[in-house]
Amino acid sequence: MDRRTFVKGSAAVVGATTLPQRVYAQAAAPDKLRFGYAITQSGPLAPGANSTTISAYQLWQKRVNDAGGITLKKYNKKVPIEFVSYDDQGKPDELLKLTERLIQQDKVDMVLSPYASHMNLASAPIINKAEYPVIMTTATTNKTYELGPRWPYAFWNIAQPRASSGALSKALADLKKQGKIKGRVATVHPTVEYGVENNEAFLAAAKTDGLEVVFSKSYALGAADLQPLIREAMATDPDAFIAFSYPPDTFMLTEQMQIVGFNPQVMYVAIGGVFPTYKGKFGNKVDGILVYGPADMSGPGMDEFAKAHQAMFNRPYEAGAVNVYSGLQVTQQAIETVGEIDRKKIRDAIASGTFSTVWGEIKYLNQINANPWAVGQWQNGELVCLFPADKAGAKPMLFPKPKWS
Amino acid sequence: MILFEVFLGGLLLGGTYGLIALGLNLQYGVARILNLSYGEFFMGGAFTAFFTITLWKLNPLLGGFVSLPIAFAVNWLMYQVLMIPLIRRAPDQDVLDADVVLVTFGLFFVMQGLALVGWGGDLHGYSYLSTGVPVLGATVAANRLLAFLGACVLASALFLVLRRTRFGGALRAITIDPVAASLVGVDVRKYSALAFAAGGALAAASGMLVSTFISFTATIGVEYTLKALIVVIMAGVGRVTGTLAAGLVLGVVEAVGGYLLDPALTIAINFGLFMLVLLLRPTGLFTRA
Repeated sequence: MDRRTFVKGSAAVVGATTLPQRVYAQAAAPDKLRFGYAITQSGPLAPGANSTTISAYQLWQKRVNDAGGITLKKYNKKVPIEFVSYDDQGKPDELLKLTERLIQQDKVDMVLSPYASHMNLASAPIINKAEYPVIMTTATTNKTYELGPRWPYAFWNIAQPRASSGALSKALADLKKQGKIKGRVATVHPTVEYGVENNEAFLAAAKTDGLEVVFSKSYALGAADLQPLIREAMATDPDAFIAFSYPPDTFMLTEQMQIVGFNPQVMYVAIGGVFPTYKGKFGNKVDGILVYGPADMSGPGMDEFAKAHQAMFNRPYEAGAVNVYSGLQVTQQAIETVGEIDRKKIRDAIASGTFSTVWGEIKYLNQINANPWAVGQWQNGELVCLFPADKAGAKPMLFPKPKWS
Repeated sequence: MILFEVFLGGLLLGGTYGLIALGLNLQYGVARILNLSYGEFFMGGAFTAFFTITLWKLNPLLGGFVSLPIAFAVNWLMYQVLMIPLIRRAPDQDVLDADVVLVTFGLFFVMQGLALVGWGGDLHGYSYLSTGVPVLGATVAANRLLAFLGACVLASALFLVLRRTRFGGALRAITIDPVAASLVGVDVRKYSALAFAAGGALAAASGMLVSTFISFTATIGVEYTLKALIVVIMAGVGRVTGTLAAGLVLGVVEAVGGYLLDPALTIAINFGLFMLVLLLRPTGLFTRA
């Protein structure tokens, strides 16, 4: 088959499958809205996918359906949500096949995002080709800036490396300007894309902001002992210790810094720092630690969210789940604005709207969340949001970080 | 000075590597069962310690009074109920190895699945003895030191049992030649089951000790099965003191190498050393030629 006949053929197939649906949709209201997602339910990424994404999906479905469903004003009717889900086993090729299946075979009304940066990126071209608007809730990579505009149907919800590392650098530069620190910074990161990209973004921002990076080293993900690395960083006498870390090493760095008595005035850890279990392990020693991707615990709607989460799963929510939930709220609000499942219109509604969610107000600029929470801090055992500082609900930074007692 | 501290850290790390592998070597060396669900008992020991300190507000090591007997009993039953039929029907060790790998791999999935359902997928961790202890001018973590001492005590105890007791003599006879052992009156099934069960209890003990300084999820077991397997293969199947020694070598080379070369290379150094041993001494560092 040459390319032209293939294009014609697929156009005919697409036409044949979408046409009767349109006619049907005008005839009567749907009795349910089918949302499809392929996500990692087995393998090493499964725990994160579960606590961050899947639980938020399930909670959202329950809460929306308990309220009668999503309002489709075209039919003046509330329609309940039904899920179609598959396990991608953490494999991008499997994810692509299953996403195709959701769209072509199951003919779901909407698609929800998979879990983890590379999986979100992998699914973007497919959902874009099929013109399914999707809020990608767990992708943070500098590639979104270049690739994002190519996929008008993909939206990016969380702080991208340049935003989060930039905010961090700016905060340190401010402290330096006020004469509170000398501006000596040590950074460490695991050799994974997230760590490498954030470190690069931070080094670039730090240079512009006039900070002095006195130490910057990487370590193997899954390293069994980070004490030597901490000792080396400590020897350079930094005011700020910045770790673009992953969950197991976020925990290990925090513990081993206490063991060697390393007390920088500013300390930042990345993924895992917002976990309830992080606070569970370290208790009030988390106070003053800066973290990536926080949620405002006292934001509007958060009380009900927290209670519903606790009731459904019998464990506290993770801040990442708040971001995922906000993506679902945006999707729902966009559908309700349009009033029917017209994915082109829903896409435009997401692109141009301003949405109020549990994760604060959300607006997309070139499909990237214009002002997501990037940096937070533990204060008195509570997670608060610091940056962007101009966002409603932002708190001032606790400085210096209290010493380990 | 830092180099000395790095060396000490490597020594402690190596001790825990040896500790993790002790039980697997008992299971594989004496009972000749390559148990791929070994790490699940490590995970069970870690979770028991976690719940002991967080739910019951007790010293996490007291959790051992729960996890060790359970691991011992479950492994004993595993051997008697699941392994014996496989051993009976297998014409030779190669067929048995293949069957055992499949069955224990299946058990690994079942146990991990149950743990995920029961305890969720979250990262768990608690603080216990997370303070620095000065040793000859360097600082080491008290919880890592405890795990290291635990490794030394358990390895010595195991060594003494194997060398000094009649029971140990029987186990060593089975390690060398199970057929000959049965000919001189050793009840191979009974002793193998006990060795297998003891191996499982050691897995739980190592999980309990190591959980004091790592964070873990319900899916962590397989990672530790792999670590244990590397140490066992490096040491040589059935060598107890060799297991501890191989663990120490691995830990020190990883720590010092990572410090002198690049911390990003620790895992590469680990596997590089493993490959070197496989190439030069495929039967293990501590087996007699």
